[in-house]
Amino acid sequence: MQKILMLATVTAALTLPAFALEDVVTTRKNLMYSNNASAALAGAMLKQEVAYSPEAGKAVLSSLNATSMAFGDYFPEGSGAGDTKARDTIWSDPEGFQAELVKFQTSAAAGNAVGGREGPADLAAFQAAVLPVLDSCKTCHEGYHVPE
Amino acid sequence: MRRFLGALAGIALFGGIAFFLLTMPRGLSSREIAALSEGDAARGETWFWAGGCGSCHAADRAKGEDKLTLGGGHVLATEFGDFVAPNISMHPEDGIGAWSTADFVNAMKKGVSPDGRHYYPAFPYASFTRMETSDVVDLWAFMRTLPEVEGRAPESDLAFPFDIRRGVGLWKLAFLDDDPVVEVPFDDPVLRRGRYIAEGAGHCAECHTPRGLGGQLDTLRWMAGAPVADGPGNVPNITTGEGGIGGWSVADFAYYLETGFTPSFDTVGGSMVSVQDNMAMLEPADREAIAAYFLALPALASAR
Repeated sequence: MQKILMLATVTAALTLPAFALEDVVTTRKNLMYSNNASAALAGAMLKQEVAYSPEAGKAVLSSLNATSMAFGDYFPEGSGAGDTKARDTIWSDPEGFQAELVKFQTSAAAGNAVGGREGPADLAAFQAAVLPVLDSCKTCHEGYHVPE
Repeated sequence: MRRFLGALAGIALFGGIAFFLLTMPRGLSSREIAALSEGDAARGETWFWAGGCGSCHAADRAKGEDKLTLGGGHVLATEFGDFVAPNISMHPEDGIGAWSTADFVNAMKKGVSPDGRHYYPAFPYASFTRMETSDVVDLWAFMRTLPEVEGRAPESDLAFPFDIRRGVGLWKLAFLDDDPVVEVPFDDPVLRRGRYIAEGAGHCAECHTPRGLGGQLDTLRWMAGAPVADGPGNVPNITTGEGGIGGWSVADFAYYLETGFTPSFDTVGGSMVSVQDNMAMLEPADREAIAAYFLALPALASAR
């Protein structure tokens, strides 16, 4: 009986971290897909393919702000293997990655503040609020995301 | 025995002379040099951004104005060894400030240095060779306006036998070709402009096309994607074939070059960020021409 308990404990100890890592990868992927959706709506409005409304602008900006606050917490050591596009530079260059996170957070917070709870009043205000956030997508993906 | 050795020596001598003659660096003729005119720096700036000089010759991840500071040093770590981009600022000793117009044209179009040595084709003169000489001269006029940067970059560090620079002469005989790669209708100025930029200064194929054993571009798989030369991942297939940009419109492609966002609002990443920043500096008509060219390419499926 003791042997079985021991075996079960050791197996759990070895596999639970793997499950936890899987959760971490899934969560951060979903946060990023949410960013993608925000960018898509922002882009459609900036291209004037979709009519701008302050509600839609607010949805985009508050969503980007929220994910920017959480995203950086989902990159523990060891989560770079397997089905992920996270690049090894995240862990070999943590200061650089942190700097990109901060850029995302500060631009998203600043954008989210524009227009208060109602959001930016018009497309021009929205453009000024959202473009710096969208620019932070590029620079982080430049160094910390595996292409294709 | 003696005769055999004598014959062997003769063959070796003949081989050596043949190698020497075949690999002689060939630059512009004196007539071509005499015909070089004064360049226009304003027109030359277009070629600076289309050619992406700052993406290799400025500091890594440089943005905006910093891309005009061409001190070199960027390392391209490949299977042939480490290529280091030199200082090409206007510094007369550490850069190319002492060069003549002919020196610059020879480097860009023939891959030959002012002291008569071959450049390694990691410097993409195999694409730049397709540029009109007048455009290269305009680019030189623009380069002359850029700042001096002190400090030579380290030498490239290549594995044997690629460190025998003279051998590049053989590579050039086999692979250096200034003909266009993709056929385009004679009476379509937009496609012809797009091809001229993409296959020449833009040197898109140097990353987006796979290479053969000699490091030459595999024109049968033109722009169909390739492994990243100096890191993880793949450079995408940018033909409309499977795994590529099928479903993109010309407007979508031009928008991507301008903003870095794909039609599904995925963002540009990796080394392409620097390229897309350059593309954003071009005239909209040039981005549209480039887009038209890629949408018109033979559709090839991604290799996997």
